[in-house]
Amino acid sequence: MFFVLLPILLLYFTFLVLPIGAGFVMSFFDYNPLRTNNDFVGLANFARLTNDPVFFKALRNTLYFVFATVPLNIIITLIIAQLISSLDWSKLRASFRVLFFMPCIAPLVASSMVWKQLYNVRYGIINSMLEGLFNIQPINWLGTQSLVIPSVILFTLWADMGYNVIIFSAGMDGIPSDFYEAANIDGAGPISRFFNITLPLLGRTFSFVIAMTFISHFQMFAQFQVLATKGGPNNAGTVLTYLIYKTAFQNKNMGYASAIAITLFLLIMIFTIVQQRVNRVDWGY
Amino acid sequence: MAVDTRHKRHSIGQYISLAILSLVALFIIAPYIWMLMSSFKSTQEIVQNPGVILPINWTLAGYRNVLTNSPFFRWFLNSAIVATSITVLVVFTSTLAGFVFAKFEFKGKEALFWLILATMMVPYQITMIPIFLIVGELNLYDTLWALILPGAVSAFGFYLCRQFCEEIPDSLSEAALIDGAGPMRVYWSIIMPLLKPCIAALAIFTFLEAWNEYLKPLIMLSQVDRMTLPLSLVFFGNAHIHDIGSVMSAASLIMIPAVIVLLIFQKQFIKGISITGTK
Repeated sequence: MFFVLLPILLLYFTFLVLPIGAGFVMSFFDYNPLRTNNDFVGLANFARLTNDPVFFKALRNTLYFVFATVPLNIIITLIIAQLISSLDWSKLRASFRVLFFMPCIAPLVASSMVWKQLYNVRYGIINSMLEGLFNIQPINWLGTQSLVIPSVILFTLWADMGYNVIIFSAGMDGIPSDFYEAANIDGAGPISRFFNITLPLLGRTFSFVIAMTFISHFQMFAQFQVLATKGGPNNAGTVLTYLIYKTAFQNKNMGYASAIAITLFLLIMIFTIVQQRVNRVDWGY
Repeated sequence: MAVDTRHKRHSIGQYISLAILSLVALFIIAPYIWMLMSSFKSTQEIVQNPGVILPINWTLAGYRNVLTNSPFFRWFLNSAIVATSITVLVVFTSTLAGFVFAKFEFKGKEALFWLILATMMVPYQITMIPIFLIVGELNLYDTLWALILPGAVSAFGFYLCRQFCEEIPDSLSEAALIDGAGPMRVYWSIIMPLLKPCIAALAIFTFLEAWNEYLKPLIMLSQVDRMTLPLSLVFFGNAHIHDIGSVMSAASLIMIPAVIVLLIFQKQFIKGISITGTK
């Protein structure tokens, strides 16, 4: 039995544990895979971060993207899940769930390429609709500094709502109906029922979804590479993941890229710890 | 909250909910419709009549271009090989490791468990550079192994399977062991069948993730005939940057089969996702 486990543990070690250690170690080196000598530079990579304007821009863009998209995603998916769960028609409930999940099964990079066409200045359907309906002049969505991230946010909301809709509605279906019946007798309206029963009773699911959504959004990459071509105008669409990719695999500066990756990790870790504290759930029903 | 409503009239609130959901549904479907319709148009038509959804002159030129001027079937096969291998391997490694960690005692188990679990917290951006170098050391660049081997283990799968194994009563596996069944036999004929819902969920997640993965192929593969679908679509898009019709045909060829699979297996999909969320 344990002989079978051995190769599995070897895989875990080689591709999960070892790379983490190596990632941290590399951040202390000036590592370029094309060179034979790679010097230990101590904290120099991290010192370099502190006066790298592109890094700070990427950091700001990442926080902007994550802290705008995730709350919007959670609010919208909660509302949708609640609307679906309260529908009387069970066939429609099932169909809506599948429908909202559709974008999740497509490769993110493929849907990004479709959306890139929708956002096009000249022939994009978004501009031609705005022009037709409100007579708005064509907008360069992906080529304007202040609009790149909002455009990516809208796309990401479209692409990533499905999981949360399904998980939230499963959680809502699991809430015993006695609670709602009792609330009905007390004369609670739908909004009060949502805030006083559904939301608190979702407890664990709610906390899980928030954590997973934040962690996954910090790591999103494909839509930034496709929609914000080459980091967007004046790096307005550069996020940490894209900067790490570019630094490591295009500029071959893997030590410095590791240092940026570690700041991304610290960001996720700090955030997860804070979130777990805030959303602590120590009761059930 | 499903109430028997056959004898009840639907309230106005029901119809308002339905209207809101239908609007959101339209927003979700619209890009798919645009993609599919554009795939039957010439690029000229897409650019000149941006407001017209239905093709004026239906054409299959885009599809013909994709299927004859690119190794599309090779790409499809690569994706299928990678995603299937990773799914089978992850299910095997996760259930086995989960079983051993849930039902057996050995030295260093707790430490090992937390070590593997901790790796879930670490973003791929940290490990991708060392994994890239390790794959290079193993001489696997530009082979499908560069994706399959690092993808064969999953910390999430391990955790999920261990949780499910813990819920299986010890008496079941112990009774079999006393009856003289070896641990592998217990794993195969007692644990595996009981893990079915967990395996289904894990398999769906793993397959989807592997099938849609873009960043890993991007750093590991550069030869055209080794690419998987998401990477190849970007490659094709860059090579035919002025031929939007063809690019939308390629995108449709990738996205529409997935939609059909989703529609066929919708119950399994929904159930699998719900399981992971409530665990």
